[in-house]
Amino acid sequence: MTKRYVLVHDENKCIGCQACNVACRSENNVPESVTRLQVRIEGPYGNFPNLHFKYNRVSCEQCENAPCVKVCPTGAAYVNDDGIVSINENKCVGCLYCVAACPYKVRFINPETRVPDKCDFCKSTRLARGEDPACVTVCPTQALVFGDANDVNSEVRQVLDTKANYQQKVNLGTEPRVYRIPSRKGGIKA
Amino acid sequence: MKLDRRTFIKGAGAGTAGCMLATLPGSIAALGKTSISGSEQSIASICEMCSTRCPISARVVDGKNVSILGNKQAKSFGGAVCARGGAGHSQLYDKQRIVKPLKRVGERGEGNWQEIEWDEAYATIAENLNRIKAQHGAQSVAFSSKSGSLSGHLFHLAKAFGSPNTFTHASTCPAGYVVAAKAMFGGKIKRDLGNSKYIINFGHNLYEGINMSETRGMMNAQMEKGAKLVVFEPRFSIVADKADEWYAIKPGTDVAVALAICHVLINDDLYDREFVARYVEGFAEFAKEVKAYTPEWAESVSDVPAEDIRRISHEYAAAAPHAVVDFGHRASFTTEEFEMRRALYAANVLIGNIERKGGLYFGKKASKYNKFAGEKVAPTLAKPGVDNMPKIDAKRIDMVDEQFSLLWSSGGVYQSILDATLSAQPYQLHAWVMSRTNPMQTMTDRARIVETMKKLDFVVACDIYISEGAAYADIFLPESTYLERDEEIVDKSGKSPAYYVRQQVVDVIGDTKPSWQIWKELADSLALGEYFPWQNMDTLRLFQVDKDTRLLADIKQRGWLSYGKPLMLRETSMVKDFVAQYPNAIEPDADETYASRLSFKTPSGKIELSSKKVEGFAPGRGVIKYREVALKKADELFFIQGKVAVHTNAATQNVPMLANLMSDNAVWIDPVTAGLFNISSGDKIRIYNATGSEEGHALVTPGIRPDTVFAYMGCGSKNKELARATGKGVHCGNLLPHVTSPVTGMNLHTTGVKIAKL
Repeated sequence: MTKRYVLVHDENKCIGCQACNVACRSENNVPESVTRLQVRIEGPYGNFPNLHFKYNRVSCEQCENAPCVKVCPTGAAYVNDDGIVSINENKCVGCLYCVAACPYKVRFINPETRVPDKCDFCKSTRLARGEDPACVTVCPTQALVFGDANDVNSEVRQVLDTKANYQQKVNLGTEPRVYRIPSRKGGIKA
Repeated sequence: MKLDRRTFIKGAGAGTAGCMLATLPGSIAALGKTSISGSEQSIASICEMCSTRCPISARVVDGKNVSILGNKQAKSFGGAVCARGGAGHSQLYDKQRIVKPLKRVGERGEGNWQEIEWDEAYATIAENLNRIKAQHGAQSVAFSSKSGSLSGHLFHLAKAFGSPNTFTHASTCPAGYVVAAKAMFGGKIKRDLGNSKYIINFGHNLYEGINMSETRGMMNAQMEKGAKLVVFEPRFSIVADKADEWYAIKPGTDVAVALAICHVLINDDLYDREFVARYVEGFAEFAKEVKAYTPEWAESVSDVPAEDIRRISHEYAAAAPHAVVDFGHRASFTTEEFEMRRALYAANVLIGNIERKGGLYFGKKASKYNKFAGEKVAPTLAKPGVDNMPKIDAKRIDMVDEQFSLLWSSGGVYQSILDATLSAQPYQLHAWVMSRTNPMQTMTDRARIVETMKKLDFVVACDIYISEGAAYADIFLPESTYLERDEEIVDKSGKSPAYYVRQQVVDVIGDTKPSWQIWKELADSLALGEYFPWQNMDTLRLFQVDKDTRLLADIKQRGWLSYGKPLMLRETSMVKDFVAQYPNAIEPDADETYASRLSFKTPSGKIELSSKKVEGFAPGRGVIKYREVALKKADELFFIQGKVAVHTNAATQNVPMLANLMSDNAVWIDPVTAGLFNISSGDKIRIYNATGSEEGHALVTPGIRPDTVFAYMGCGSKNKELARATGKGVHCGNLLPHVTSPVTGMNLHTTGVKIAKL
């Protein structure tokens, strides 16, 4: 694998404003009834007045060990050279195995194309033009860092090397490429 | 159709496609247009999904979409756009947007419309306004517009017509801090959150009411520079969540805590004596007054522990002068708004953070900046003036009371339109021309506004949707959205001069016009065309740049032009850099600052902590003072509102992408309070008081004081034209009483309510 694209979501900087959600929808023409990306403001947790929200980014985790790819009978779900979990629409027979297999529940059937859809880091549009994914570009508080973790000089590598971070459901062995910097309030102390 | 496995499952998630609406006359749906055209190359422009008006860069993609990103030339905005900005295209080609002039054909507010041509619209308006002018005088017509953007063109029309009664939305939103700043500093002041080390925030929710450069600045200060943020707010908002300390202050008592901070600063000798001696007028009177406002007293009023107020005041003073008490934005938490905003400013003045990094500062527009530099660093813009404007003898309707004098030239007391219409105070209004304003939601006491609209002889609304206010118009004028129009160059100076400009990205959809053109053409119909001597927007822009076509081309190309180095007059490092850059710059003082050049446009030329002028027009208010106010009855709960990041007040609830994110506003209720009424999350509830009654649903959450309920404002529209918003959620304006706060003229946004499970 030549590149290892990863995304870091800083839950301290995220304000749950949905700028990413809207930018994603606009960039990728995501139909109204489905979504590739949301930030869910969960909580507040804790006891008054010691409360905190959790800012939970919900989008494809780009697993290194992706269950959706493993279960796909036709090879329509595959991992690209850059590590991005991708979909070959022509090979898809619509069996929905991938949707069922995703432990993060982020694959869905696009009602217009009728094939599975999900976040692909804007790879055919923005990434192909050398730009960051739409969500990263518009984020008002710079809560997202994106880049090639194989590049030792990349910002994303620096962030991962210096800030405590976690991934979701690591116990499943999926090895997600979306990393999260926990909130200093009620976050996971890594 | 080929039937395969994929066709078989196509129903999944396609639920909204079958939802058909009766076609609204004049809407894009009625027009039947689906494709869009415009520039495929990125054009620098200005957003208008809220009034922060961020610099954007936009282009049409494949004739069906518009990509909207931030303009990276504007560094402090960082190329970012928020959810509302990113959804601008969804508003542009929303099938429910109105793109053809309409006239009312049923009863006012009934919702029966007929498409008409512009000529008929102008002729009808001209006939009615000229008749009313002849019978009752020009002053009997009120003109109102959301401030900024093209509002000046409507107000110019009002002046040409002969009416002094022009209003912005000020008294429903920002007038509090504007009026208080005028009284103390002689004009508006800015905050340097990005460089602040200690920020005290009284419910200025910059993480939901996003103001891009300030939001980014504060987050950067917090996360990258270790600034401490203390928030006093009755609700656990996003800014409260991001704070180092959050205090669930009792609604409307912010002024008590602010005065107690001032008390500690003076009593514990933490204030900047030298600054006060040099720049402040009326300190002794103020010090005498705040002697009584101890933290213990403030605790009894506000529920904020005295020891915390004392400790926070000491921490704040220790970070001085790179510390700030945020003076807030939309408010009127209390009728004592004037005292509250002044008390917040006072806490800044006492630590001498004026013109210091991380404190407060004045905008450095080109004329001022160039004077300091001793050379023309930035161009200045010319303002077109029109000779021989008619003399207006009539007084404004809000001139009944001198205490509102600071607001007369800053938007006026908007809600005085209601009093003038319903009770002829001080005289009878007969018509209302409104543009891009939705008083039915943003003003208080909705029933009274309905009554006003029904009583008027003639109502004109210019907007992009038939908003709740526009629903009561006789003539509706469809305005081009910000993506379809050109405007004048705008001054956006901060610590150094900057300009930006709105430019057309998309070809006009349907039969709409930019409002500068609408008011100019209406002036022609009113036989007032001589007062609009310019041809078009290009003429106006060329006039602004004094025919410097290169400058104009540059601004249009980059969309954002900033000049020089940031300058704060009392900040040594900045003054040093400035002087090094500009050899002809004014000689700094001995302490290497421009401290001696800092002056204030007040009667004394100093910061008026206490003001004889204010005492003159509002007896008893010269010195900042606490007054107890009853915001609710004993058996009621406080009702407060706020902003959410995905909507702009009452303007965006019908925009498809944003409605999809949030179309309803749950009422936040504390678990113990909810238990008393047997209310659970999701339950249908009634929320009511003497002003009105609303139905909504409950969100039971510990993120609110037990004596308070909260809802995001702007939902619960009652007109059928806003199909995605109508009837969804609680209409806040229907629960807020018609009260005007002293001096600031502000509507009141805190009141008492009762709740009941349905």
